[in-house]
Formats: sequence, structure tokens, C-alpha cells
Amino acid sequence: MTRKSTSRSSKKTANQRKARTSGRWLGLFVKLSIVAVVVLAGVLMYLDAIVQEKFSGKRWTVPAKVYARPLELFAGQKLNKQDFLTELNALGYRNESSAKSSGAVAVNGNTVELHTRGFQFYEGAEPAQALRVSFSGSSVASLALSNGTPLAVARLEPLLVGGLYPAHQEDRILVRLDQVPDLLPQALIAVEDRDFYTHHGVSLKSIARALWVNTSSGSLRQGGSTLTQQLVKNFFLSNERTLTRKVTEALMSLLIEVHYSKAEILEAYLNEVFLGQDGQRAVHGFGLASQYFFSQPLPELKLHQVALLVGMVKGPSYYNPRRQPERALERRNLVIDLLAEQGVVDTEQASHAKKQPLGITTRGSLANTTYPGFVDLVKRQLREDYRDQDLTEEGLRIFTSFDPILQRKAEEALDKTYKQLAGRKEIDKVESAMLVSNPETGEVLALLGSRLPRYAGFNRALDALRPIGSLVKPAIYLTALEQPSQYTLTRYIQDESFSVKSQNGKVWTPQNYDRKEHGTVFLYQGLAQSYNLSTAKLGLEMGVPRVLQTLRKLGVERDWPAYPSMLLGAGSLTPIEVAGMYQTIANGGFNTPLRAIRSVLTAEGEPLGRYPYTVEQRFDAGAIYLTQEAMRRVMTEGTGRSVYNRVPSSVVLAGKTGTSNDSRDSWFAGFGQDLLAVVWMGRDDNGQTPLTGASGALQVWANFMQTAAPSSLNMTPPGNVVMAWVDAYSGLGSAKGCPGAVQMPYIGGSEPLAGESCDKPAYEIAPVESVKSWIRSWLN
Amino acid sequence: MSKHAIILIALVTLLAGCAGSQQRAIPVVESGGPLTPGAMRDNRARQSAGTAQTAQQPTVTVMPQGESEAVQTYAVPSAPIGGIEVYHADSISSTPSTAAPAPTSPMPIGNQARLAADEQLDGAVLALLTTAKQQQGSGDFNGAASSLERAQRIAPREPQVLYRLAEVRLAQGDAGQAEQLAQRGLSYSNGRPALQAGLWDLIARARAQQGNTSGAQEAQNRARVNL
Repeated sequence: MTRKSTSRSSKKTANQRKARTSGRWLGLFVKLSIVAVVVLAGVLMYLDAIVQEKFSGKRWTVPAKVYARPLELFAGQKLNKQDFLTELNALGYRNESSAKSSGAVAVNGNTVELHTRGFQFYEGAEPAQALRVSFSGSSVASLALSNGTPLAVARLEPLLVGGLYPAHQEDRILVRLDQVPDLLPQALIAVEDRDFYTHHGVSLKSIARALWVNTSSGSLRQGGSTLTQQLVKNFFLSNERTLTRKVTEALMSLLIEVHYSKAEILEAYLNEVFLGQDGQRAVHGFGLASQYFFSQPLPELKLHQVALLVGMVKGPSYYNPRRQPERALERRNLVIDLLAEQGVVDTEQASHAKKQPLGITTRGSLANTTYPGFVDLVKRQLREDYRDQDLTEEGLRIFTSFDPILQRKAEEALDKTYKQLAGRKEIDKVESAMLVSNPETGEVLALLGSRLPRYAGFNRALDALRPIGSLVKPAIYLTALEQPSQYTLTRYIQDESFSVKSQNGKVWTPQNYDRKEHGTVFLYQGLAQSYNLSTAKLGLEMGVPRVLQTLRKLGVERDWPAYPSMLLGAGSLTPIEVAGMYQTIANGGFNTPLRAIRSVLTAEGEPLGRYPYTVEQRFDAGAIYLTQEAMRRVMTEGTGRSVYNRVPSSVVLAGKTGTSNDSRDSWFAGFGQDLLAVVWMGRDDNGQTPLTGASGALQVWANFMQTAAPSSLNMTPPGNVVMAWVDAYSGLGSAKGCPGAVQMPYIGGSEPLAGESCDKPAYEIAPVESVKSWIRSWLN
Repeated sequence: MSKHAIILIALVTLLAGCAGSQQRAIPVVESGGPLTPGAMRDNRARQSAGTAQTAQQPTVTVMPQGESEAVQTYAVPSAPIGGIEVYHADSISSTPSTAAPAPTSPMPIGNQARLAADEQLDGAVLALLTTAKQQQGSGDFNGAASSLERAQRIAPREPQVLYRLAEVRLAQGDAGQAEQLAQRGLSYSNGRPALQAGLWDLIARARAQQGNTSGAQEAQNRARVNL
């Protein structure tokens, strides 16, 4: 072959040679082209696979959303109008002259009309409805639909208080195209990609126009990328500006347009686009941006708000309305002008919209606040039941018992107390923690893990393990009062010095805080005045192991050694553990584990999990009642009495101060009927503080209760408790009307013998009637 | 009349002796106190409890008058009991004695008839109980329990809510929790004998489900006695 061709080639002319050469090049070109096509086809197939995989599968992972409790509305509810309006404001309700559309509120004197948005709860859907709420004093007088039909109960949508993000996480609220206001896609297309509906992913026209507009206006008004290209860039590609990337972007854009409709692409864009950075959290999509900047759901946004968000697409940090309000306003108005130019809105609408303020929620307002302490508790409780991945990716909806109004009051109380304590030695080094719960349901309502409420580090409410001091004392008195044949509130006990040799060989000599002995005191006074000597003595009479047993029954799950010093609170607990212990006392001896979560729904609103109310009776109601009575007297005549400088004396409260050795820890734990709060103050380095339980933690507690307005502790005696008249000085039986007579509760049968009546002849209840009632009671 | 009373006492004491298993009669109450099981659960009894003491003494097991000994041993306390201005004077007499009329249905009774006699609920709670009932009826026990907890947050001391909650738990097979919830309900149902009977009946069923036959019987007896 070779030889033959060679011989033939020798006969060829120069022209032929030339043609042959070019033919060779052509062949090479064809071959190369084929290779290129094959390679391109390969690349396209590869890109196509990427595009399709991302688009057909789950496009985004969404962090779990944490919701506060929904505010319930019903006639008779304890809720003042101001708190109600604060909540509505946080939920992004707009003040209007009449509440016609959802998310609007109109206030008229004591009547508030609002149009709720509706929400999917665990128990079912709450409809969007127009309500009329009337207030009277600090409670709801009536609830009705706006047409006047009385309504038994309704609830608002819950405030979103946080999410469960891994570090550097994208966050978003997914929206469907049919949920967004029509104006949004219109504006987006008008500003970013006018030919969106006609191009095939890449638009040469757009690029040309962008060049023209930008050069002629001298400013960067338009980019050349189509929405599809922007989506591809955000979705699949890094931020580098190379030619390869640009080509890949174009190819993928074409591919997406082949496979998917314009509507699908637009919807993906609305959810994908980056619109701001919130600490470590990246705000993606218009759904979340609407909540993040306006605290309103996307469908409610008006022209000026839509224009602001659309304008931000170009440069979310450059046009950040919180940091650069003037720049953002200018951009917004430019967008509005553009919309008017293109006929999307008329000039009247445009000029009206341009007059609107930015309308951004301010940082630190109820709507725009983080609650790291509480969310941390939620996260810990969830981790027991869910994998981390489920929590950060599945878009779960977590419904909690968090009460943002009470949280705010707790934060304000703490802040106020620090101001009142200003000037005390090294007060700036004193940290704090606080937990508020409802003792009747065991739900945690508010939580402060630090004196700085936005601080997301060490959560002292959950993790500060500190000696509880006198907070332990109710357990000693409860142990005693469980034996009514030996101990009553008015039994005499001796408050005098003593020493005792402990099991570990050490001699223990407790002292009173004032270093004095108080001689003979009534049993309850030992607790009310927080006397160490008499209390320790009582505890030793009972036996330390027995007191520890009571503590376990109260819910304290610590293995403390049975040393006498435990009787004065040498054992350490965290504030949340203290809350658990006091909850059992506050709740009539029924233990209910503290809960922060009510229920969990999937992203689609399907019920997933529930954290039910559970209860277990641990103590006799009578013994608990007497312990509560002693703790009530802590507040009226003992170490906690300064609380009534702030709280009306008509409000019955019970509680206990606690101070650890050398004032290293200042504690207060106490409750009304529907609120229980535990406050701890101390230094992280465990140094001395200038505070006792009464001068520190109690002040926070009192400041909180002053604004939180708890219901009076219900002191209706349980069935086995009787009230008896006794002489206040001797504790001997007395009678009604006698000088110095007071009424004290006793477990039936342990009360002192009744004394002679003083001012009127003893009247007798007919014996038959009394026997009858005795039989009735016995039979019950 | 007093003759009748004495006969009654004798009869009741006899019955008490026959009842046996008094230990189990006190459900979870861990008390060292001299408790007559379920004594003085209604207001009238409690109001007259002070005067009924003399009658009660023989049945109360431990009731030493230890007070007087203590008083004699030591000096009188240095500070008097606070609140001489009479704190509790009204708290008892003002307790509403809403003795609900006993229902007429025979024993053992359907819950509906019995509880109908005990409607003391305001609108919000009633609405939520109705919702819960519908959810329970359609087999959505979790939804029902959830609605009932919503009612409980609105009216935490309403025993009827706890009764329904216990009922749902029992239907869900959590008899232990059902019994506890019913106990909590009992602690709030002074003066509502119909509801007390319902709660005891529920406790009886919960105990039976847990295999505690004698406890169930005992609770059943109380459910009857309450009516």
C-alpha cells in the first residue's frame, strides 16, 4: 500500500499536494469536531445528570423551625391589651383602620379587631378568621368573630423563635409559586430578566441590553445573566469568575430550560436566592427574607416591601436595609420606578409606595430576637428522640411552650435588678440564670442562660451546677411534716448551737447567717427565717438519708453522700433541677417532668411526635400544703418578705431564699399558682459575690413577678387538713375571737385541743349533724 | 337520732373491717400521716371537721397530742406566729359548696350521664372537650390528648379535663398514667361527688388493666359510695 501510494504521489502536481494538505487538515478538523462533539455530548450528559438529580430530588435541606406557644384567646383569659398588641406586633400584624385582610389589626379603645392568618397545629388546623377581642382590666372580656358571633376559643399563629442549624447553614422557608404575591415574580422579571419568558436559558439580547443600559446610564443597573443562569450559578457552581464556569453555567441553563417549565424554574429561584446573612445563618429565598426583614408571611407583602427584596437580589449585603437603610431605600425606589416604567404598576401606586418607610423590624424587638438559652433546651430535649440530621435538614416544625412575653419580662427584670445593684462590689462579674415554668403543667415558659440574654454560650440555667444552700430546706420540713403525729407547723424547735461528728470523721458545727441563736421557735419559723441551727437539728432528728429520700421524691436525681452538711445545701444543683424540685412542691406533691416541647410536625404538617403531660403523685397533699404554708410565710414574715415591696400583698406567693457559703451563690425559688421561677446569681469563677439570696436573686424574682402578675397561690386546704385557732404566742389551742388567736393548718388530728371561747358562748353544732358529716367524709 | 348515728357508726366500722386490703386503699399517697382513706373529701365535711374530731378520734390510728408535751419542755417561742389579723378566716367558709345533684342512673353508670350532672365548665374548655371528643371518636387519640392538654392549660384545675385526659390515656393503653391523672383530678374535685365517682370508676378500670384486682375493687367501691 505504502509503496503504491508513494509511487502514485510522485505523479501528483503541486496543486494536488496543496489540496491534499488542506484535505488532511479538513479531515483532522472533522475528526476533532467529532471528538469535540463526543466530548461535548459527554459533558452535556454529565451536566444533565447533575441538573436533573438536583432538580428532581429534594432540592433543599431545611433546618427545623422552633415556634413559641400560640397565644390562646378566650373570654376570661388573663392577658392585658398591651401584651397582646406586643405579640401581634411581633407577628408582623399591620395596624389598619379596619382589619379586612389577614395579618391586619385595628385597635379601637379596649376592642381589638384582627384578621388571623391560620396555622397548622398538632391538634389540627386553626382557620384564618376575623376576630374581635375586648379587654377589661388585664383580662379578655369577650371574644367574637368580627360579625358578632361569640367564639369560645381561638389562637394566634405561633411566633417563630429560632431554628436548629448546624454551623454555617442555609436557612429558608419554602414557598410555592401560587403562594407568592403576583407582584413578586413580575417585579423580579422586570428588574433581573425582562425576557425570562421568551429566552431559552441564555439571552444574548439581555447581555446586549445590559451592556447598553450600563454604559449609557454610567451605573451598573442591569446584569446580563438570566434568572436561569443566576439559579444555576447559585445552585451548582462556585463563585469564581472563569470562562469555564461561564460556559458551564450557560450549558446548564440551556439544559434546565429543556427539562423544566418556566414556572418551576421561577419557583426554584424564589426559594434559592441569597438575601442576607444573619450571624452564621444564611437567609435564602423570599419566604424567609420576608419573615426576617418584615416578620410577615410573604403573601402579605405590599409593593414597597416586594420592591425592597427584589432590589436586594443584586447585592444583599450592599443593600442590607438594616445596615445601609439609605442605600436600600434608594435602590427600592429605583425598582419601583422601573416597575412603573414597564407598566407593572401605575404611577399612582408607585408614588404611594415610594412614600412608605422601609418597614424593617428592628433588631431586639420581639419579632427579631434570638433566644439561645431556650432553644438550647429544646435542642437537648429533641436530641433524645431525633437524629441531628433530621433536625437540621427535614424542616420539622417544633412547637414549644416558650412564652415570648414572659421571656421579655424576665429579661427586663434581670436588667432592672443589675441597675438597682449598680455600685455593689464587682457586680459586673456576677452572672445570672433564670428559669420560669408553669407548675401546673410542668411547661418551661422562659429561660435565661446568662445575664446577657442573647449570649449563646455557657447555658447556666441548664449547666451551672452550684451549691443550693437554703433552697434544700423545704425538703427537711416536708420530711418532718409527713409525720404529723410528731411535727406540726407550730411545734417548738430549738435554734441553738451544736456540733455533730460526721461519718467522714469531721466535726460539723453549723451557724446561723447572723451568727446568733434564736432559742425556741415555731417549726415553720425555722424555714421562714431560714435558721440554720434549728433546721439542721430537725434534719438530724429525721436522719440525713431520709431527707435525701425526700429530695429524690421531689425529683432531684443526684447521688449525694449522707453528710449532715447536705442539710444546709452543700449539695449542688443546676437551676433547672431546682425548678424540677420546687415544681413538685408547687403542684400539690405531684411530680411532672419539666417540658419545653409540646409536639413536632413534619415539614408537610403531618403529626410526628408529642411530648405528653405526665404526672405522678409523690407526696401526701396535706404534708405539701403545710410545707407551702411555711413557704408562704417566708414571703409574709420571713427572709422573702421584701417581695411585697413590689408585688401587691393580696397575691399569695411561696418561696425560699438560698445563699451558699461566703455568698458565692445567691438563689431564689418560688411560685404563685401559675408561675414558678428560679433565679441564680453567682460568678463563673465561683468567687464571692456581694449578694445574699434575698438581696440578689430575690430582687430579680420580685421584679419579674411584679410585671408577670402570677395568680395567687390557691390555698384551699386538701381534705385531710383542718384549720385550728391557736394562740400566736404559745401555739396552744385557742378560739376564734380570742386576743392573739391565729388560724393555722394541721393534718386532721394533729391540731392542738381547742381552747375556750373568749367573747361569745361556745355554740355547738348538733352532735348528730357532726356525726353524719363525719360518716359522709369517711365514706368518701 | 343519736341512736341511729351510733348504729351507723357500728355498721360502717364493720364494713371497714370487711373491706380489707386497706394498704392498697391509699393509691400512691406516700404519707406517714394518720389518713383515713379519702376522708373529708367534701366541703361540708371539712367545714365541720374541727367539731367532728371527737367522733373521729377512735378511728384515726395515730393521733398523739404531742403538742402539749413539747410546749411544756421549752420556753415559749420568742416571736409569735405572724398574721394575727386572721389569715384563713374566710378561705374555708367561702369555698363554694356546690353539691351537684346526684345523678339518677343506675350503677355502674355510663360516664356521660354521670358527668352531665357535673357541668361547671366555661366556653373555651367545653369547646375543647368537644373537639377532643370528636378526635377520640375518629380514633385520633393523640390529637384528642393534645386538645385536652390545650384545655388543661386554659383550666389547669378543672378535674373534668383531667378525667378526659385519663380516659384517653386508658384507651391508649397507658393505665398507669391514666390512674395518676385521675388521682390528680380527684385532688381538685372537692364538692363534686358525681365527678369523684367517675374518677374512682376510671381508677378502678385503670387498676384492673394493670392487673391490680383488689385495688380495682376498692376503687370501684369508692365510685359507688360517692354516689
